[in-house]
Amino acid sequence: MRKLLSLLLVLALAFSLVACAGGTAPAATEAPAADAAATEAPAEATGEGITLGVISPNTGALAVYGAAVTTAVDLAVSEINASGGILGQQVTVINTDDQFDPAETLNAFNSLVSQGVGLIVGSVTSGCTSAITSAANEEGVVLLTPSATADSITTANDYVFRACYADSFQGAIAAYYAKEAGYADVGVVYCAADTYSKGLYDSFAAAAATYGLNIKAVESTASLDVQDYTNQFASMASSGVQFVYAPYYYDVIGPYIVTQARAAGYTGIIMGADGYDGTPDYVVEGADLTAFNNVYWTNHYDPTDTDPMVQSFVAAYQAMFNSTPNAISALAYDAVYMYKLAIEKAGSADPAAVRDALADPSTTFSGVTGTFAFNSETGTPSKGAVILSFASDGTSVTTKLVDVIKELK
Amino acid sequence: MSTFLQTLFVGLRLGSIYALVALGYTMVYGIIRLINFAHGDFIMVGGYTMIFTIPVMVALGLPGWASVFIAILVCAAVGMSTELVAYRPVRKKGTAMTALITAIAVSLLLENLAQAIPQIGPNPKVASQIFIAGGVKIANVTLDWTTMLTIGISVVVMIGLYQFTQKTRIGRAMRCVSEDKSASILMGINVNRTIVTTFAIGSSLSAIAALMYIAQYPKVYTTMGAMLGLKAFVAAVLGGIGIIPGAMFGGFVIGLVESFTTSYVSSSMADAFVFLILIIVLIIKPAGILGKNIGEKV
Repeated sequence: MRKLLSLLLVLALAFSLVACAGGTAPAATEAPAADAAATEAPAEATGEGITLGVISPNTGALAVYGAAVTTAVDLAVSEINASGGILGQQVTVINTDDQFDPAETLNAFNSLVSQGVGLIVGSVTSGCTSAITSAANEEGVVLLTPSATADSITTANDYVFRACYADSFQGAIAAYYAKEAGYADVGVVYCAADTYSKGLYDSFAAAAATYGLNIKAVESTASLDVQDYTNQFASMASSGVQFVYAPYYYDVIGPYIVTQARAAGYTGIIMGADGYDGTPDYVVEGADLTAFNNVYWTNHYDPTDTDPMVQSFVAAYQAMFNSTPNAISALAYDAVYMYKLAIEKAGSADPAAVRDALADPSTTFSGVTGTFAFNSETGTPSKGAVILSFASDGTSVTTKLVDVIKELK
Repeated sequence: MSTFLQTLFVGLRLGSIYALVALGYTMVYGIIRLINFAHGDFIMVGGYTMIFTIPVMVALGLPGWASVFIAILVCAAVGMSTELVAYRPVRKKGTAMTALITAIAVSLLLENLAQAIPQIGPNPKVASQIFIAGGVKIANVTLDWTTMLTIGISVVVMIGLYQFTQKTRIGRAMRCVSEDKSASILMGINVNRTIVTTFAIGSSLSAIAALMYIAQYPKVYTTMGAMLGLKAFVAAVLGGIGIIPGAMFGGFVIGLVESFTTSYVSSSMADAFVFLILIIVLIIKPAGILGKNIGEKV
């Protein structure tokens, strides 16, 4: 009996090992260029070389974002290495997977620190990034997240920075847009258990108060695993609002929320945030996709922007990976170049020196997602946003640019 | 009025899915007294089988739902091999507890194995439309055709299972095995074959449940069976685990509680209420709503 139990435990351990190996395999295959860079580096490097750590959800529900980050970092690093590296040193990348799980994020962070990495790009989501911010400050490791928008991620004088704007701005743009479009009464449906969704709701509500909007109806869901949103949107419809702010991710918006909201009788605007990026790949083929008309969202950049920097990034990304980069890719790409700028300014890749260079308000960075400097208090750039919408002829969903907002009035 | 109807219909929609999944739990438990925690993941297996075979069916000129027959075969194969590879050796040597732990291990194994297959991977997949959208409109609120179909299928499955266990030779053998394994062997029943058959039927039910699930909630991902399985298990326990009509009853209770909590109490409290109801019912009636209180036979 006891023997059997121990045998079972051994088996369970073996299973979990197999499972882990399986989980990380896709991440490894996604980064061939980075691996190539890693093997070439010692031959060309004049110094010790600079190592960047990457933490992203390469497996799990948000694996699209993980792939977006690892590919863009690959592209940026191979460009940098091809043009002589940073301060004459080649850059190598160590990819780690956080599985969209805060506990795994901390494991990934610890593994990078134990390998001596002092500069990290990651993680992608607010929930995961908030799990490692205090560890980063304690260890003196610079954390530059491409896309964690929750306000609480960065505090004054710390080692945490972000390439994106914060939720207090992102939620405010949505409220600003509602005001400009003439909606006095608005509703909100959000996930009470998710840092990102809850953070956006809070900032939307704060901005709505400033703009004199009346939040007439608020409904929430208990987790991101909820599959039925009909009751929530039926309540929106019966309250008579024509504008609902619904900050969720693409894997909920595409298959569930939009079609269910329309079936529940809600016909007005559904507005979201950068989590809607990727939705057109997650819609139900054969269903009536006209439901996706009247859906708006805020994002960091628009791939059809005619700015030469955007166009050369999109072209290089397409040449390397054969797909159009999403906003997370653009932000991760910018994050790598921000490190390059800061290291060159600091004259070394020492984490403390790089931190000071990043925090210096005179370090102005010009990249794919705009030209900006970090606010030295919050480690958050001041930059504009784009407003996009979905358009559908009934059989497919496309994205189109509605407006570019540089600052809020 | 329309809010009430809407809530009722959403409750029926969720409940019909829970009921169908709970039938699978209760059938296996009723016969071999094993809580098959991997049942939720069999649904995931069925879901992915359909994601990959629906385009094939459509190309052959058949309706998309015809792929459920392939899913039934795949799920039955997975269920039977789980029994042969994992449960049977453990049952031979261990206790009910080791079997239970093995069931949890199989569940995690299936979820992680699925993710390791490159064609499945970590990204969720979205199924195409399976049945006609829309339904019957009552006071401006739509009751989906899919919901009615799911309820209909649940009733048919429930009656079918009950008749099967009461009337057929294999069904009777299953009930014998459940009552007393050693006596069944003496009566000339092939116990192992009976248990494998039970798993084949139980897993086929998960393929049907998968069809109805993705027809209403078209997102398929490797951990989709986890919460769904847990709630269906709660439904089976609530109705009285091992009792076939109880599973269906429990499924609808859970679905309706979830939906009415969302509309009338607090939308973020739905899950909390489901489990609260479970605790209350189990305190009052430990054997479940339709269960009879009988002492464990020694």
